[in-house]
Amino acid sequence: MNCRGRLVLGICWWVVLVSAGMRLSADDPTRNAGNPPPAAECLAVDRYFADEVWGKVGERTCLKCHRAGGDAADSALLLVDTLRDRGGLARNRSALAAMARELESGESRLLRKVRGELEHGGGAVLAADSTGYRILARFVGELGSNGSAPAARPADPLDESQPSFFAGVRMLSPQRLLRRATLSLAGRLPHEAERAAVAERGLEALDGILDQLLREDAFYVRLQEGFNDIFLTLGYDGNGEEVLSYEHFEKTRLWYQRHDLSHLPEKDQQRARWSLADVYREAILREPLELIEYIVRNDRPFTELVMADYILVSPYSARGYGVYEELREQFQDPDDPFEYIPTRLRALTNRSGKTQESATGMYPHAGLLSMFHYLRRYPTTETNRNRLRARMFYQHFLGIDVMALAPRVTDAAAVSARYENPTMQAPDCVVCHKTIDPVAGLFQDFNEGGHLGPRKDGWYGDMFGAGFESEKLEDGDRWRALQWLGQRTARDPRFAVAMVEHVYYILTGRKVLQPPDDIEEPRFAARRRAYQEQRRLIEEVAERFAAGGYNLKAVFKDLVRSEFYQADGLATLADDPDRQSELDDVGLVRLLAPEQLERKIAAVFGEKWGRLDDREGQLKILYGGIDSREITERATDPSGAMGAIQRILANDVACRNVALDFTRPPAERLLFPGIEPDVVPGESAEADARIRQAIVHLHQRVLGQEQGADHPEVERTFQLLAGIVSDAKSARGIEKLGSYFCERIEEQRLDDPHYMLRAWRGVVTYLLRQHDFLYE
Amino acid sequence: MRRRDFGKLCAAAGLGLAVPVALPWDSRQVLGHTESPPYEGPYFVVVNASGGWDTTYLMDPKGVEGINRLYQAGEILTEGNHHLAPTAAHIQAGMSNEAFYQKYGSELLVLNGLDYSVNNHSPCSRYMATGKLDSLAYPTFAALVAACRGPSAPLAFLTFGQYSATGNLVPMSRVPYLPSLNRLANADAVHGVAQHPYHDAFVIDRIEQALQQQAADRASQPRLPRVERAQNMLYAAQFNSKALQRVTPHIPQSQSKERLSQQADIALAAFKGGVCVSANLSIGQFDSHANNDVDQMKLIPELLAGVDYLLTRAEQLAIRDKVVVVMQSEMGRTPTYNNGQGKDHWSIGSIMFLGPGIRGNRVVGATDEKQFLVPLNPLTLETAPETGIRPRPEHIHAALRSLAGIESHPFSQQFPLGVPDAERLSGLWG
Repeated sequence: MNCRGRLVLGICWWVVLVSAGMRLSADDPTRNAGNPPPAAECLAVDRYFADEVWGKVGERTCLKCHRAGGDAADSALLLVDTLRDRGGLARNRSALAAMARELESGESRLLRKVRGELEHGGGAVLAADSTGYRILARFVGELGSNGSAPAARPADPLDESQPSFFAGVRMLSPQRLLRRATLSLAGRLPHEAERAAVAERGLEALDGILDQLLREDAFYVRLQEGFNDIFLTLGYDGNGEEVLSYEHFEKTRLWYQRHDLSHLPEKDQQRARWSLADVYREAILREPLELIEYIVRNDRPFTELVMADYILVSPYSARGYGVYEELREQFQDPDDPFEYIPTRLRALTNRSGKTQESATGMYPHAGLLSMFHYLRRYPTTETNRNRLRARMFYQHFLGIDVMALAPRVTDAAAVSARYENPTMQAPDCVVCHKTIDPVAGLFQDFNEGGHLGPRKDGWYGDMFGAGFESEKLEDGDRWRALQWLGQRTARDPRFAVAMVEHVYYILTGRKVLQPPDDIEEPRFAARRRAYQEQRRLIEEVAERFAAGGYNLKAVFKDLVRSEFYQADGLATLADDPDRQSELDDVGLVRLLAPEQLERKIAAVFGEKWGRLDDREGQLKILYGGIDSREITERATDPSGAMGAIQRILANDVACRNVALDFTRPPAERLLFPGIEPDVVPGESAEADARIRQAIVHLHQRVLGQEQGADHPEVERTFQLLAGIVSDAKSARGIEKLGSYFCERIEEQRLDDPHYMLRAWRGVVTYLLRQHDFLYE
Repeated sequence: MRRRDFGKLCAAAGLGLAVPVALPWDSRQVLGHTESPPYEGPYFVVVNASGGWDTTYLMDPKGVEGINRLYQAGEILTEGNHHLAPTAAHIQAGMSNEAFYQKYGSELLVLNGLDYSVNNHSPCSRYMATGKLDSLAYPTFAALVAACRGPSAPLAFLTFGQYSATGNLVPMSRVPYLPSLNRLANADAVHGVAQHPYHDAFVIDRIEQALQQQAADRASQPRLPRVERAQNMLYAAQFNSKALQRVTPHIPQSQSKERLSQQADIALAAFKGGVCVSANLSIGQFDSHANNDVDQMKLIPELLAGVDYLLTRAEQLAIRDKVVVVMQSEMGRTPTYNNGQGKDHWSIGSIMFLGPGIRGNRVVGATDEKQFLVPLNPLTLETAPETGIRPRPEHIHAALRSLAGIESHPFSQQFPLGVPDAERLSGLWG
């Protein structure tokens, strides 16, 4: 369909999304030197052209089709995406000015074209009373087009020396960046050797440290957690083993029910069997995330996410598939339910003895796409016809949310009723369904529950046939339809961008910015700049990701090294509203998720709290966590309920750890290695100095702050401690023993004659309630 | 701290943006460590029938053209000005239409012929929740009204599911279990037992003072907008959380069994405690592509029983006269049955309201005998097939903002609905 067809239907959103994702097209001839050089006068790009003509009209409207590879690529007007080619602005002005000056019946061709005249392939793209049209009309008028003399306008040249986007933004110190990276990626504090390396070599040392971090087991916990936030496969319906169909795994999927437990006393067997079932279910539930871990851990191309011709199984889940015996020797520990190895399944045979069609005799694995878990997580129905799966495919693997900007229809009910088959006949429906339904058709061999189970009557004839965008699935590839899709997905430039966006989400906890859509909005230019700066990063990283063989670790490293990840503060107040809009999304500033917070507590205190990720999960959900089923989006801002949990956490973690730490030998202490509870503030200058040094250590360990003893925050904490001790001294009835609940070690309440144990506990409580601890 | 800086801190605390709005607190409350005053209403409850309800089995009965298999046109009942589908004979549990209308018909406002414009759950849910179809940035009405009317309330916006975007105006609170509130109410006591505080009172006072001083000092330092917003919201969340103690006296001794009633208990306790402005309640499974009648006859009565519980319990808590209830779904069901005895998505539906400021015993708008929308004159609220408008979610939301008294609030203006004055349903509430 050409651009006109799409626009006649009144629905551009799909085109926008697709074209937005097509920015990585490999060959963009307009970027090369083969283009004629722009006329000298056209190099003088002014602010009005850059911000108004191009920013609000050209880029948003004309570029959709008038670009290399676009629907109007062979027209006289060819424009350049300035996001990727910063020098393209002058060429775009030249091209638009040239068309603006051409007259048809005394009027600029440019204006007539956008009104849909002169057989414009895209039809009418701007109404004559729209803001966009007025912008173009002014541009035309100032060129002296439309038969008039050039309109006089004060010069407003484009300031080429515009400050960089991050001008005035303070970046993390190398030590703080190191801490952010180790905590985020590996759930630990930096090692001394790492701190020393960074102290000596600065950011240069970070590269090697990141390489090491990305090999640590803890990174893969984070990786699995992050990708589950995106794919949500842990939330599929039913018990873990229900991904294995009765039809194909009847004899094996419930193996735990028949497993020999005779070596156990009879009274213990039932409980052991329940436990066995729980472990087995978890083992099978984790398989999709284990696939992701396997690809990344082994530096395999991440395109295997949709192309892997294998799955990961453990000794327990392999039993469910009925392949344990043949794999047994390959496991290092056949009793480890969570040791995963890759394997390929043979073509599935059903209870009647019929084997699925396969040219290779093997199940046609296609990474996540063909895993029963993924298919079950996004089920279908007789009326949905795999459209949910198609939608999720676009969202997960090509970064396109087809439901984000749904097209408004004048009367959707009337459209539904007017056509016998609206999705193939009604233009309003066809525009989307012609893209979605072919992908839905590729999933046709899988039934409602995600099992292999083609419809008895064959796939629906009243839908567009199986395929991917403009390519139809040939009959010979029918048996491997999802492999076929996976191959095309992997080589689609949108795949790399989508994966970078996923990593960005994992690192920051929020999605990438969307382009601003309201050109009337006063901060449009600022928001556009913010979007473009971020988008440029995403696409550059994606290019390197693809060029480097799709190693996902490279994406983590690239993003961690980016200014977006390292931005930490402002050197000066940014009072200008435009500048504030530009910086609105800058800075990591992420409220730690329950799991991340537990890991941070473990890293700082040596032991996790355990109440944010316990089996009940009540606090986890209250604290903004997800269950991967009903609750699938994490809270990003703390409610009052979360504020209460933060207070409980601060009180309780301090309660558990402060006195305990003091009972350890100084060299083994995490919190108080250089101070004893008999050092009391105000007793001597030396005592105060030691206390300040202890506070410096606490700030560094708990908050990651690198401060001197004279820092105002250290002083604030010192005053808190001193104030508490002073209050205790003057208060009546204060015991000389520590609290029953918090200063009791091995059933003995510790002496606390100067109230110092309790005061230090107050200090740690205070630190744990702070932004620098609770946020990343 | 300068008054201007402190005001900025207060304004931003509990809000997502440091914009010039009326301060939620008097500065003395924070400086003096006193709690923010309880929010005393009105309270807003949006009840979602998630998945798409069959309006012809509730407030827009047809009984013709094969639209309904459980009754014919002649069996349609009336209650005051309402027409309702007869369901008492078809349900196993919950509340029948007959009982619901008999009890609440005089308070109930129904709008039939609502144009959802699209046919998919995701955009429809977003559209119904926010009044804006083509943006992911808009807040739900429940979030918006919470941000405008009670941003310092610790659970200002409660949600139990369905589309819950906040527009970065107010934190979203999820409290899925009633006992959770008890646990949180005494955060400074071991196991929540007030007699066993973690710290002596003077220690807590010192900690709070230090945190407050720190927050005040930071207000005058250059910060990235995200940092400023996050630090202010964190401070507000912890400070405001103390007000959760006001909730515990209103938590029922026993937990309800029904889905909606469980949510209602939490919301009502939070309302009564003055810590909540709005709640987004939801029950799912209305998406009856198969066996429509069986499913709808189970779910509609469950929904009505839940609303009945909400209102009855609100009466017991003496806040019934402050509770505004919106009952909605993201789509309707087709006028025809599919081969699986189900009904598919239909872009025309209905919405129901009751509460203070809403004159009941009224039905506005209509669908025809084939369940197509009949346009509405926005001024007279009479049907006007030739000249009327198609009432859409933005019209409803504009009216809801007016009802809630927030239409001119800066937050509302930040998210304009684009409804021309000539299309405003200004007389909707009667």
